[in-house]
Amino acid sequence: MGVISKFARRKTLIRFRKMKLNLFGVKGNSLFKKTLSVFSMMLTPLFLMAAEGVVAPPTEFNPMAWDWSSILTLVLAILIVLVIARAFDIGSLTEKITGKTIVSWNNVNAWAAMVFLILGLIGVWYEMEYHGKYLLLGDSASEHGITLDSMFYWTFGFTFFVFIVTEILLFYFMFKYKYDKNRKALYYFHNNKLEIIWTIVPAVVLTFLVLRGFGTWTKITTNIDKNSEEIEVFAYQFGWKARYSGDDKQLGASNFNFISGSNPLGIAEENAVNILVDELKVEIGKLEAQKAAIEDSSKIWKMQYDRFVSTGTDRTYPDEFKVLKTKYNDLLSGSYERQLEKDIKRKNTAIKRIASYKKDKETFNGSAKDDKVTTEIVIIKNKPYIFKFRARDVIHSAYMPDFRAQMNCVPGMPTSFAFTPIKTTAEARISKNNPEFDYYLFCNKICGAAHYNMKIKVTVVSNEDEYKTWLATQTPFVAPPAAAVPAEAPKGDSMTAVKTGTVVKN
Amino acid sequence: MSTAALHTEHDAHGHHKESFISKYVFSMDHKMISRQFLITGIIMGIIGMGMSLLFRLQLAWPDEQFGILETLLGKWGKDGKLDPNFYMGLVTIHGTIMVFYVLTAGLSGTFSNLLIPLQLGARDMASPFMNMLSYWFFFMSSVVLLISVFIETGPASAGWTVYPPLSALDKAMPGSGLGMTLWLVAIALFIVSSLLGGINYISTVLNMRTKGMSMNRMPLTIWAFFFTAILGVLSFPVLLGAALFLIFDRSFGTSFYLSDIYLEGVGALENIGGSPVLYQHLFWFLGHPEVYIILMPALGITSEVISTNARKPIFGYTAMVISLMGISVLSFIVWGHHMFITGMNPFIGSVFMILTLIIAVPSAVKAFNYLTTLWKGNLRFTPAMLFSIGLVSFFISGGLTGIYLGNAALDIQLHDSYFVVAHFHLVMGSAAIFGMFAGIYHWFPKMFGRMMNNTLGYFHFWFTFISAYLVFFPMHFMGLAGVPRRYYQFTLLKEFEVWADVNVMITMAAMLGGIAQLFFLFNFFYSIFKGKKAEQNPWQSNTLEWSTPVEHLHGNWPGEIPAVYRGPYEYSRPDREEDFFPQYIPDEKAPETAAQEGVVEPVETKTEEAESSVFFAAIKRVFGLS
Amino acid sequence: MKNQFPKDPAPAIAPSKLNLWLFMLASSMLFAAVISAFIVHRPDAEQKSAWTVFDLPIYFFYSLIIVILSSLTIQYAYNMAKKDELSSNRWLIGTTWILGILFCLSQFLGWKQLVSLDLTFVNSRPEDISASYVYVITALHVVHVLGGIVLLSISWVQAMKFNVHKKSLTLMSITNTYWHFVGLLWILLYLFLYFAK
Repeated sequence: MGVISKFARRKTLIRFRKMKLNLFGVKGNSLFKKTLSVFSMMLTPLFLMAAEGVVAPPTEFNPMAWDWSSILTLVLAILIVLVIARAFDIGSLTEKITGKTIVSWNNVNAWAAMVFLILGLIGVWYEMEYHGKYLLLGDSASEHGITLDSMFYWTFGFTFFVFIVTEILLFYFMFKYKYDKNRKALYYFHNNKLEIIWTIVPAVVLTFLVLRGFGTWTKITTNIDKNSEEIEVFAYQFGWKARYSGDDKQLGASNFNFISGSNPLGIAEENAVNILVDELKVEIGKLEAQKAAIEDSSKIWKMQYDRFVSTGTDRTYPDEFKVLKTKYNDLLSGSYERQLEKDIKRKNTAIKRIASYKKDKETFNGSAKDDKVTTEIVIIKNKPYIFKFRARDVIHSAYMPDFRAQMNCVPGMPTSFAFTPIKTTAEARISKNNPEFDYYLFCNKICGAAHYNMKIKVTVVSNEDEYKTWLATQTPFVAPPAAAVPAEAPKGDSMTAVKTGTVVKN
Repeated sequence: MSTAALHTEHDAHGHHKESFISKYVFSMDHKMISRQFLITGIIMGIIGMGMSLLFRLQLAWPDEQFGILETLLGKWGKDGKLDPNFYMGLVTIHGTIMVFYVLTAGLSGTFSNLLIPLQLGARDMASPFMNMLSYWFFFMSSVVLLISVFIETGPASAGWTVYPPLSALDKAMPGSGLGMTLWLVAIALFIVSSLLGGINYISTVLNMRTKGMSMNRMPLTIWAFFFTAILGVLSFPVLLGAALFLIFDRSFGTSFYLSDIYLEGVGALENIGGSPVLYQHLFWFLGHPEVYIILMPALGITSEVISTNARKPIFGYTAMVISLMGISVLSFIVWGHHMFITGMNPFIGSVFMILTLIIAVPSAVKAFNYLTTLWKGNLRFTPAMLFSIGLVSFFISGGLTGIYLGNAALDIQLHDSYFVVAHFHLVMGSAAIFGMFAGIYHWFPKMFGRMMNNTLGYFHFWFTFISAYLVFFPMHFMGLAGVPRRYYQFTLLKEFEVWADVNVMITMAAMLGGIAQLFFLFNFFYSIFKGKKAEQNPWQSNTLEWSTPVEHLHGNWPGEIPAVYRGPYEYSRPDREEDFFPQYIPDEKAPETAAQEGVVEPVETKTEEAESSVFFAAIKRVFGLS
Repeated sequence: MKNQFPKDPAPAIAPSKLNLWLFMLASSMLFAAVISAFIVHRPDAEQKSAWTVFDLPIYFFYSLIIVILSSLTIQYAYNMAKKDELSSNRWLIGTTWILGILFCLSQFLGWKQLVSLDLTFVNSRPEDISASYVYVITALHVVHVLGGIVLLSISWVQAMKFNVHKKSLTLMSITNTYWHFVGLLWILLYLFLYFAK
């Protein structure tokens, strides 16, 4: 204590006050400069990073092509509203001066609330009238869907009632209790009884809904028929495939490492896998060759690059030039080589993994041979099914609104959904009065550019025979390559074109 | 620290005149920071809304060509048609901007900053420097996000939830390249910003209340901001964790989220053992509280505005606080309802369902309390009041559909359909935006010292209100008919043809809504410079912020901070002639003039206290006992 | 700002202290997230036999000892500052600082040991995802420790300038609390990692 003199302590105090670098906030003017420089330091690399690939602004600036009439109409409309607003302002000024009310916004708003309420109710009625028939797409086409629908209508009844009552009250209060300078609002702080009522009542109703929902949910997810037939549904960018188990009633094992052009689902079938390994080896050889020829490609690209620049064609063909430039830069920076090495390593890993899986007799038990890969799902009415979902690349979601069924398809995490269809396609066509109607399975999880066009037809047939006739037309996944599923290489459908910048063909 | 030492230092420095930079750019004054947040938020809002109009154009007329698209978007709008990749990008960035930049930072950043010190009677935030950092991190984050829109491969396009593997693999879609990296950088900066802000808000509320401002006398706005900040501080770090793992997966090749992937044109990837669902768990652990981070400030603002303009005490103050608390606590344990159909264990699903539906109870209490506050009130229809009532309407109609979605069984059918779009756009989109508008109209005089034009405000409200319902109400029916969200167009699928005219109607309504915002923007920017000069307490409100002078001062009050004598909602007290009774006026017949000026005679100077007694005082203050 | 208004009552708790506590809360949530990811991930990965179980490097245990020691020294330093024993305060802060550096070094050696076992962060083999978690958890913690070292450095410099004493304890108490926090965090993380394997 006695160590420091009074003077020293005072000095200390002042120093402490002046200490600028307090992490938790002391002000000081030099701090601004510091902060500024820190921020700009942090931003610069980001700007540089972004500047690399910034798109040039559209070259054409052609005001003549604009839709001037619409723009003028819009501007005019806005101006009119502004003028009206101004007129009201002047009006209110005169109101103040003369003491007479010209426009009472108080009344206007109160009446507007009433008008809005009535028009809104009419709108709700209109929607129910004209779009109500699409509500839940009519009757459910699956067994569990009936419980789900009844759950829906219970919830609907309850919420619709609350919605109508509260909204009416809200706008009615707006109308009824509009400002009146002669009235004083009710000084009303709380009312325990009321508050308890409207805590308890929703709680009770919700308990009811929760219990029902719990029952429905448990029934849908856990009450699965042991005799259900398994169908595998496989999702990829951007399409679906289905796999039927064939005669042995057993889906063969599958693995993403087995996927190849001739085996889009990666089914564990020895021949296909052997062919894949051979293909991979060839590819590795090609990559090795590319790696070895880096020197040469560098010379060639340099030459091309120089030719572009010297002839001035880099301006006439900017896109081609850009591609070349990127390639060349990658080569110089070594990222081209790294990429090649990575690819080689990846393919080697795949071969290694395949080899280790092949030792597993259970995976290659031959049950895959008669599996049938199809581009349509056909199921029989009143027969329980388990749909096993798998995804190849990103998360998709199998959505079958007519069957009240939806399940995510996650790469690396098989999921399933079980249901029993109860309405054939033909019946649905009649009930919907649409001879062209078909059930579909849609993708319902954002998965890329062609997400909106990722669907597979689901047909419900009425009996076993129809199903068998259809199944007979499908070829089983017998061994050798291309014959089985020729054109269905995992290229996606016609939508491949939409997906840009991904193709580094194997 | 002795007062003498402080004085000497103060005198030595003098009242240094603030430079432009320290006043307008790197300001540490909470009022300036709040204005910075607001204006950045509004700009981001314009961009976000503009994006929504662009993709609405595509949805309504998928086969038409719009020259404007090519003019605006260049290669993404070739021949006047929106590129499907960029459509996804627009959807993603629209969501990100609206959720994080407008409704988190723009709403809670603006009004927490403005109101917490003013309504609690504090000179400024607990740490003005951190507050400034919070804004500038937010600003940087916005800049980075906007840059990402302009890069060659396009912005992040995996939806605002950026689920891996789509967002983790740059070969899966163009937007998952550099655009996604910038998105992650932007979000990381945003998290830092909102943590700095949130920590500050909590610490100010706990620690810096004026004399007499016990916790149970705080306006509901402050309660809402307080819980919002707690939610943010607890949940944003989890998003940071999720984002970190995603960054590692993207840039270093780890496999936290990746497993069993075969990419077209690449082949089988090495990653194995990762779990994409893990990301969803981490994301929604933030994501669900985030919904309430957005909504609760709006509810708080509404409570204040409704009570003030109904000239009536808010009904059930305690119930309101308890339901806010209940919503906050529950919001942490319901995230699973976003994942019912990821194939999670059905039992866990049902637990999440039960917890989710419990949230409906406090929400119902809030809605009923708002209704009762309006009942037998004396409603002054200021634009702020109208927007608050609009919020209540949206809160009811959007909240009720939550009962469907929280029900796991119904979610099987409704998940990711337009029903979800309708639900959250009403209950957290429109409702929160309306809360923000209400706040802007109500506190504009406090922020800028001028009034906004009421007439334009009425036009703005009615057009926006009608267009919001026209846009989102029909979407319920689309969703119930199984129309999936995030579809680029519906013409390829016959099943959805019936909705073509509805889509056109929705787009037109959205355009009407967009035009209505022009009135607001005009009104806002015009009034900043040319609006009518504001009075000190233009709405005859009770709360403390209206006791400060109209022009902004460092430290808010020229003299002593006024003390608080009662709760904030003493409107239309029968024993008083005036229909309001400000918090800062003492109970005895106090000299009105002095109170209005906010200058009360200094009581006594507080002296240094020993550490231990400070500790007890702190505990007392934290629990509102003093 | 506050010094413009000398008559205002001082806030009950120094704002920086409260902010620190809230910051610690937030970072606890970050660690909670990472650890729950670990817990959730593990059964999934084990199903695919993509989860290696390995012994933690012995250096992590040394870090544990270092962290406990440094917690003692910083607490002692704080007590000394409270008693105005400035010289012992100074060298105790210095000791803690050195221990902090040693801790980082020890963690670094731990990582090297992991690498020598072929357990790298970027996994060449799928099973190493467990190792990736260990890297993430320890690295996040080291980042927190580095923050603590910055705080310690500031305190040390201030102590050298006689700015840490009985009447000016805020900085010292922040440093103290934060250092205990990172210490405790490491003890918990170590125990978790040790028993989780």
